[in-house]
Amino acid sequence: MERRHFLKLLLSTIFVLPTTKADAGFLSSPVATNRLRPPGAVSEETFLGKCIRCGRCVEVCPYRSIVQLDMKNGVHAGTPLILAETVPCYLCMKCVEVCPTGTLKKISQEETRMGIAVVNRFTCITWRGEAICRTCYNVCPFKEKAIRLDELRPVVDEKYCTGCGLCVHGCPITWKEGLKAINVEPIHLMKGSTQGI
Amino acid sequence: MKNKTTKPERRFHNWRLIVLFGAFLVILINPFLNFYFHINFVQGWYQSLGIGKLWFVSPLEGLESILVSKLVYMPLLIGMVIPVLIAIFLGRVFCAWACPISFLSELSDSAIKFLKGRKRRKDFFTLSKRLLWFALMGELLLTMILGAPIFVFLSPPGLVGREIMMAVFFKTLAVEGVIVLLVLLLNLVTRRFYCRYLCPLGALLAFIGSKRRLSLVINTAECKECGLCDMACPLGLKPSIGEGRSPYCWNCGECVDSCQQDAIKFQWKEITDH
Repeated sequence: MERRHFLKLLLSTIFVLPTTKADAGFLSSPVATNRLRPPGAVSEETFLGKCIRCGRCVEVCPYRSIVQLDMKNGVHAGTPLILAETVPCYLCMKCVEVCPTGTLKKISQEETRMGIAVVNRFTCITWRGEAICRTCYNVCPFKEKAIRLDELRPVVDEKYCTGCGLCVHGCPITWKEGLKAINVEPIHLMKGSTQGI
Repeated sequence: MKNKTTKPERRFHNWRLIVLFGAFLVILINPFLNFYFHINFVQGWYQSLGIGKLWFVSPLEGLESILVSKLVYMPLLIGMVIPVLIAIFLGRVFCAWACPISFLSELSDSAIKFLKGRKRRKDFFTLSKRLLWFALMGELLLTMILGAPIFVFLSPPGLVGREIMMAVFFKTLAVEGVIVLLVLLLNLVTRRFYCRYLCPLGALLAFIGSKRRLSLVINTAECKECGLCDMACPLGLKPSIGEGRSPYCWNCGECVDSCQQDAIKFQWKEITDH
């Protein structure tokens, strides 16, 4: 009986979970749009080697924002990830306190840069002029700084945006699997990229 | 199976089971405390365990982290101090007295003994003990070549903790948990096959503890060369020829329990030369 239950669990992980990340290779990073490392994370290249997969950040997170990856993510198995549109980071900063390896550096809420929120002006209903929605503005923990309203339309200021993903979580528009009208792009992927607005 | 009862039956064995159970209980209960009650006083498992402000970091995981990232983070080093000190003085005691794999192995051993009768299982397949060192070296080399730590996400002791946490937190299990099953299945071939030959963490602790203070010493004057201790050793060592002082020994005390002459004893030495 116990074994059957266990096997069922095992099979369910093999067949059901791959939806979390389709293109996860053995060495490729799971970090992508709305797939973020917890606050204070070191650069992605260092993260792989430095993190010892102890799961203490996962256990301590009171919002269950942090999930722990498994073998389907290759060598990144066991590393923490935040799925911003599912459960964003509420910036309680508990995880950075317990990381034993310094993979999550001890930083403050304001210093957190998990990524930068980017408004997609083609899908945001406010920007399209279809409605006046300002959910992202309302839920932003650094309202008036990270997200301002410019003629009622949300504008992100990358100087203040922590990339916590609260706006992604709140955004009512899902136009593509896992993508909202506002999405958080992990900073290191943004480097040299032209998609910033 | 052992008929003579001139001394307390299996004293160290029973103590060890209690300690192992306690150590297992920590990683079993802790995810529940964290998940359901938000009691964050203890976090983690035997890769890194935080008890309040006291942090433990498994030496091999810490070493891998330092080797791969080529950066030294003081809290990491300090977290490794207590485990390393324990290994320096007591040797591989973590393996025998705390490791969750050890606990599960003991559990499955008892289950098999209960189901299949009381016959002691033979080791069907033995290799050179020295394989342990190659496991450690190979693991560290592979880690450095790949630039990605291997043991940190494939370590069976760590995986036990992670699977429990995954089950409690996400109601699912990680695929790599099959490694734990494999390790336990290998026990059917040879007792503690993985611990004997393949565990890099055990190898590192053995290496650190090769000049340990606590070891098992046989009094040859009292020994009747019955060979019970050699049969009792879960690692397939021969305490009868003094292998209780070799780096491989994990100080479990099974040989002490088995000896009818009380010829084997734990000894605290100033310096051990083997």
